[in-house]
Amino acid sequence: MSSRIPRRTPRRTLARGAAAVLTALTLAATATACGDDGTSSGGEGDGTGTITFWDNNGGPRTDIWNEIIEAFEAENPDIDVEYVGVPISEVQSKYDAAIQGGEGLPDVGGLSTAYLSNLVAQGALDPVTDRLAESGLEETLMPNMLESIRTTVGEGDEVYQVPTSANQGVLWYRTDLFDAAGLRPPATWDAFFAAADELTDRGANRFGFTLRGGEGSIAQALDMMYAQSGIDSFWDGDTTTVNDPANVEALRNYVDLYNTVTPEADLNNDFTNMVATFTGGEVGMLQHNLGSYADHVAAFGEDGVAGLPMPTSEEGGPHTFVSNPVDGLGLFRSSDNKEAAWRFIEFAVSHEMNSRWNESAGQIPSNLQALEDPWIAEAPPTRAAVEALSDENTTIVDLPYHLPDWNNISKADTEPNFQRLLLGEMSAQEFADDLAERLDEAQAEWQEQRR
Amino acid sequence: MTTLALPRRAPRPGRSHDQPPRWQIYLPLGLYLLFTLIPFYWMLLFAFREPGSDSLVPWPITGQHFEKVWTERSFDTYFVNSLYVGIASMLMTMLVALTGGYALARFRFKLRMPFMLALLTSQFIPGALMLVPLFEIFRELRMLNSLWSVIIAETVFQLPLSMILISGFIRNVPVSLEEQAWVDGCSRLRAFLAIVLPLLRPGLIAVGSFAFVHSWNHFLFALMFLNAQDKQTIPVGLNTLIGSDSVDLGALAAGGVVAAVPVVIVFAFIQKWLITGFSAGAVKG
Repeated sequence: MSSRIPRRTPRRTLARGAAAVLTALTLAATATACGDDGTSSGGEGDGTGTITFWDNNGGPRTDIWNEIIEAFEAENPDIDVEYVGVPISEVQSKYDAAIQGGEGLPDVGGLSTAYLSNLVAQGALDPVTDRLAESGLEETLMPNMLESIRTTVGEGDEVYQVPTSANQGVLWYRTDLFDAAGLRPPATWDAFFAAADELTDRGANRFGFTLRGGEGSIAQALDMMYAQSGIDSFWDGDTTTVNDPANVEALRNYVDLYNTVTPEADLNNDFTNMVATFTGGEVGMLQHNLGSYADHVAAFGEDGVAGLPMPTSEEGGPHTFVSNPVDGLGLFRSSDNKEAAWRFIEFAVSHEMNSRWNESAGQIPSNLQALEDPWIAEAPPTRAAVEALSDENTTIVDLPYHLPDWNNISKADTEPNFQRLLLGEMSAQEFADDLAERLDEAQAEWQEQRR
Repeated sequence: MTTLALPRRAPRPGRSHDQPPRWQIYLPLGLYLLFTLIPFYWMLLFAFREPGSDSLVPWPITGQHFEKVWTERSFDTYFVNSLYVGIASMLMTMLVALTGGYALARFRFKLRMPFMLALLTSQFIPGALMLVPLFEIFRELRMLNSLWSVIIAETVFQLPLSMILISGFIRNVPVSLEEQAWVDGCSRLRAFLAIVLPLLRPGLIAVGSFAFVHSWNHFLFALMFLNAQDKQTIPVGLNTLIGSDSVDLGALAAGGVVAAVPVVIVFAFIQKWLITGFSAGAVKG
């Protein structure tokens, strides 16, 4: 279809339009070219004014952070804290976008060692080593959490995150089902596998265990592998121990549970589905961290569920755990008000506030005094986790959070393989070898970058 | 002997001989409907069921999850923000797509086809890829943390497809109608407003509704460009209901209902126009 144009567009108008477009493009190019990368050094400020705080688990932790902020503002009337809750699943992307975009980073941000090294590598965080020492805060915090933070970054004694809490893998089990079947608590691997078999009745839709076959499956699999094998380090020199024969055997034991004592639908379980399978059906056991305690109590009552640290080879034997990410607070380099920001961090990890926060979150406090508070004694799974962690015979296997590629390797690269493994399309040896190859390569690259 | 041809029995109204029995239509449709409605039922069940209940029927009914997300989780604020973003993006998309689509449909100019091709290929660029450049542009324009950054980004990403669709609708309106108006003394703008625009109603409704729904549901730009808590939108709010270690399924389902209601209402009102709009736009280019 053709159209007759009543008035021809004059050439001058066209030229003007082209000039406008050209100007706009030039302006846009200029705008993008002159941005910094969000790592400007900021300043100390005068310790008053407004600071911005990003909560890295916005939503579930909003209420408790608002309580802490209210208490902080009452004690420091010259400082206002602007709270921003960021969804946990997207917090790393939001930090990355703000760093690359050159603006918008907070003064204080909630962090996890799972992505700490990535932020440090981008120069977004201020080291807090001197502030910790000068304020005396270092003496009040759990040494192994600080050590985990140091190890994650791998810059000697430099600390880039003030720990607030840690989590721990727990084997949750239904006490009512165990009592009815006359089973003993799954404190050893033999008891665990026997109970998983005993509690399964597929025809009646009852299962002994539910596992995580979808998002987040690798961390759980590693926890199950190292806890069974007892191998005490993730690395043997610069080679990973993931495909050690003992770990491969442990992986085989774990994977064999799928679709024999677990529901078939576990193949796609993320933690939400896995917890929902446990709380919504007749499932005997679940391996998840302390964070889901409240969900279990809501579903079964305090007497209907119990939690133990990961099983051991023999009754009362030593535990082996893989490290869970340590949560904490970071001081951002671009902050113009670091003095006020640091005061907020100090306040948040003080005895009372840290205890209150962890009681609400159901996690292990970083403040040593908070570990002695009554609520820990009254929460048996948390108490058991603290005791197991404090036991000198316990081995913690540090997962390679220091590798910038760790998140990619343990998620996008390997999770599909884990599903193939569950479906029998891949052997445990092939899976472990593939994972080991990726890890060794990433470790070599990391070592190369450090040189 | 003459034989009389018996008149053939007229087919029963509403059903031809070629049509399959009704159950062959309604059974698959019913199964499909069941398949699509179960997730909605699941959402309503968890949203209205009391916490801790494992009943398959939301009875006794409770509004406590809605109260929680609406007041404690600030969904009242997120709802207003989403509405603002959705309506503004919709209006801007419709306005620009209308003018751009008219130019594409009615004018022949150099590089018209490459421009159309560029519009099409721009659809293959994911929003995430443009995140940092957009972030930097909005930073320089001092528009970060403003709802307008999201509105502009949403509009820009929806324009190519909207413009192509609108140009298709305009091409289906005979140019002779406009020409008659010009002969009667109308300017091009007047002729467009008086003659073409009313005929584009189905197309505009289709494009506008998609622009609204897309902006309403889109998560990425709101998450990245907005920092203040009181500027967030519904999709970001929904994501904050999923914690690292636990999920309040009742609150999440109630949040899902709050997010779904405007979309359902929009589609309920415009479905007639939507179908007309797409079939009209699909005739020919």
